Amino acid sequence: MADKEQSTETLTAASQPNNPLSRKLNKLLDTRLDNDKDMLEALKSLSTFFTGNNLRSRRSLRSDIERKSLAINEEFVQSFAEVNKQLESIYKDVHGMSECCQDMTSRLKASKEQTRDLISQTTKLQAESQKLHMKSQVVDAFLAKFQLKPHEVKVLRGTKDGSLHPDFFTALTRVKQIHNDCKVLLRTNHQTAGLEIMESMALHQESAYERLYRWAQNECRMLSGESPDVNNQLCDAMLALKDRPVLFRYTLDEFGTARRTAIVRGFIDALTKGGPGGTPRPIELHSHDPLRYVGDMLAWLHQAIASEREHIQALLKKCPAEEIEKQTVDILGHITEGVCRALKVRVEQVLVSEPGSVELYKLANLLQFYCSTIGEIMKTNSGALLSTLNELHTLGVKMFYNSLHCHASKQMEKVEFPPPDLGATSALNKTLRLLQDILSSHDNSVVPLDTRREHFSQILGCMMDPLIQMCSVSASHLSTVDMATYMVNCIYLIQSTLALYEFTDQRLEMLQAQVEAHIDTLVSEQASFVLNQSGLAYLFGTVQQHQPKQGPLSAIQGMDPATVKTAMTKFDSYLSSPDVYVMPQCALLLSTKLRESVKKRAVGLLCQAYQQMYTAILGPDNKYPNPNALVPRTPDQVVKLLS
Amino acid sequence: MATGPYNYSYIFKYIIIGDMGVGKSCLLHQFTEKKFMADCPHTIGVEFGTRIIEVAGQKIKLQIWDTAGQERFRAVTRSYYRGAAGALMVYDITRRSTYNHLSSWLTDARNLTNPNTVIFLIGNKSDLEAQRDVTYEEAKQFAEENGLMFLECSAKTGENVEDAFLDTAKKIFQNIQDGSLDLNAAESGVQHKPTSPRNALNTDQAQNKEGCGC
Repeated sequence: MADKEQSTETLTAASQPNNPLSRKLNKLLDTRLDNDKDMLEALKSLSTFFTGNNLRSRRSLRSDIERKSLAINEEFVQSFAEVNKQLESIYKDVHGMSECCQDMTSRLKASKEQTRDLISQTTKLQAESQKLHMKSQVVDAFLAKFQLKPHEVKVLRGTKDGSLHPDFFTALTRVKQIHNDCKVLLRTNHQTAGLEIMESMALHQESAYERLYRWAQNECRMLSGESPDVNNQLCDAMLALKDRPVLFRYTLDEFGTARRTAIVRGFIDALTKGGPGGTPRPIELHSHDPLRYVGDMLAWLHQAIASEREHIQALLKKCPAEEIEKQTVDILGHITEGVCRALKVRVEQVLVSEPGSVELYKLANLLQFYCSTIGEIMKTNSGALLSTLNELHTLGVKMFYNSLHCHASKQMEKVEFPPPDLGATSALNKTLRLLQDILSSHDNSVVPLDTRREHFSQILGCMMDPLIQMCSVSASHLSTVDMATYMVNCIYLIQSTLALYEFTDQRLEMLQAQVEAHIDTLVSEQASFVLNQSGLAYLFGTVQQHQPKQGPLSAIQGMDPATVKTAMTKFDSYLSSPDVYVMPQCALLLSTKLRESVKKRAVGLLCQAYQQMYTAILGPDNKYPNPNALVPRTPDQVVKLLS
Repeated sequence: MATGPYNYSYIFKYIIIGDMGVGKSCLLHQFTEKKFMADCPHTIGVEFGTRIIEVAGQKIKLQIWDTAGQERFRAVTRSYYRGAAGALMVYDITRRSTYNHLSSWLTDARNLTNPNTVIFLIGNKSDLEAQRDVTYEEAKQFAEENGLMFLECSAKTGENVEDAFLDTAKKIFQNIQDGSLDLNAAESGVQHKPTSPRNALNTDQAQNKEGCGC
């Protein structure tokens, strides 16, 4: 609207300079109404109230417009007054707020002043808390590593009834581990802690071991049945106790004692009760058969020891192998100690009950066999059982030799006369049978070769000398020939008995020498017997003793040709049947071989004698007339005839 | 539970008998070591070996006493029959005399063991078929007549060796189950390790009691 006014003013103003009208016109003509938006706007707005184009309205247009403008301005002012009022109120509010803020700011400032301390303190505390937290974590970790958890302590302490918690061993291992780890602590600068923990762990450990020991001891004490139930927990316990050698030892002792009771009971049961329903029969039922009785007892022990060995190994299966071996020997010794008395009493009873030399010998061998067999299975040579066995063996051997000595002295007390056939006396036969029994029982024996050789020489020493002595005594009243024959027979029998056995060569040699001596006697006796029988004895004696200075043989008394002739004729009849002139004793020789040998050697002697006589008679110095008629046979012929 | 060599529920005691040279020690060696011992020395007196086997899920330790076959040890070996749960009676199929002696061995076994002892007849050296001197049939008949179990084995090849030992154990175990073998009696030849089985037994009894209560 202002623009319109302006344009109207411009219109009026433009026509001013030269010709206002032309100018005005020009201006009007120049006006481009289409392009003048303001103008259009103004006109549009004018058309709202300029309704009628008349003079009046044209005249009042100006005032109308001004009035209108005024009204608008008034309205404008009014509106702005309102706005102003509101603005003022806003301003008031904002101001209030600003004041408020100011106030707050100042207060904040004040409180900030006040809290600065607090904050710094808090920060400090926070840092400290963090540090503490970390420390607590460290401490927790430390405790976890170096202290027992409550349930572990409880497990270690155990229950009132004394049973062992399954976790016991884990807890125990931990205590041990902690105790060990403390050594690391001691190396750092936590020595006090280390020492304290170590001490407390040591206490825990001690009490735990103490408890474990009591428990294991109790368990072991109950293992006295025929087949003990060694459970795994007990095996664990043994392994754990290995760290406490004394307790380990005591526990094993307890086990040993329990097993000892068991084995004694088992032994007595086997002796007196036997198996189920009495089969196998009780061992004592065979006490009348010493070998079986003693053998059964020892075999039972042998088997029982084998089983006990396994029980021990079951108990110690978790321990290292060398430990098992070492302990097994000890405990086995302990376990078997119990049966010693029962065994000893019985075996001794058998040994002193005079079961006879052969039985005694077998028993001694059996005992020796078990000394080594049981020694082998126990892996030792000492211990109560083995020394008992050795004692029994020694006793057995002693009783055996005693019985032999006894036998020998009995023989010597009542020496029999030799029988008429100059064969063995019943005493000799009896002794030889005994010797035979003893030596052949050796085949049944179970002792090694060397020992057997030793036994043999001892037994022979014990039996042979008295036997030969007995024979000599028995023969002492006999004639030389009878004695020689008898002795040869006796020794021959002994020889043929001995020859069947090993290790008798030396004895046989000695006996052979004795036989030879007696045979020599027999040979010369036989030869002189023939000479005597044929009447040549005197002749031969004279020939042998004749010295040339005595003069010719024929001149000596009893050597005259006639006598010589008679003797030689007699000798000739001997030559025709030599067997007639055999000494009766020679026929009694038991050995054909010896008989032949005596005969042969006697013949040899005779031939020699004949040769001597023959030479003497043919000798021209001896002055026999027609000597060839006196001794018709040459020595060679004689030898031929006799051989 | 750890399965160590000592975990077993029973110990069965065996004895091996038979003439000299039939291969008793070789059978034992084959069974315990799974090896053939080519030149086995004569056994002096008795020796023993052990092995753990399993029968019906039960671990059983066999304690096997191997006796000397030589006559001179007879007095000693006789003492080992008592308390045997099983007796393995061995002959040599290539030597008739060892078979002919069986009846004397059997008499010993019957007289010296308890009535429940399981006697198992073994014809050893079955690998030497060419030299066979005893037929399978006659031995089988002998075994049947005398109520023995029987197998031909070879300690050399190992054939049937396991079976002989195991079948014996099975039979013994069966006797226990039947109740014909009384474990509580002394010298039954069986030792019981009452770890687990007895517990099982106890629970059985407990159940029975409950049943009765109803």
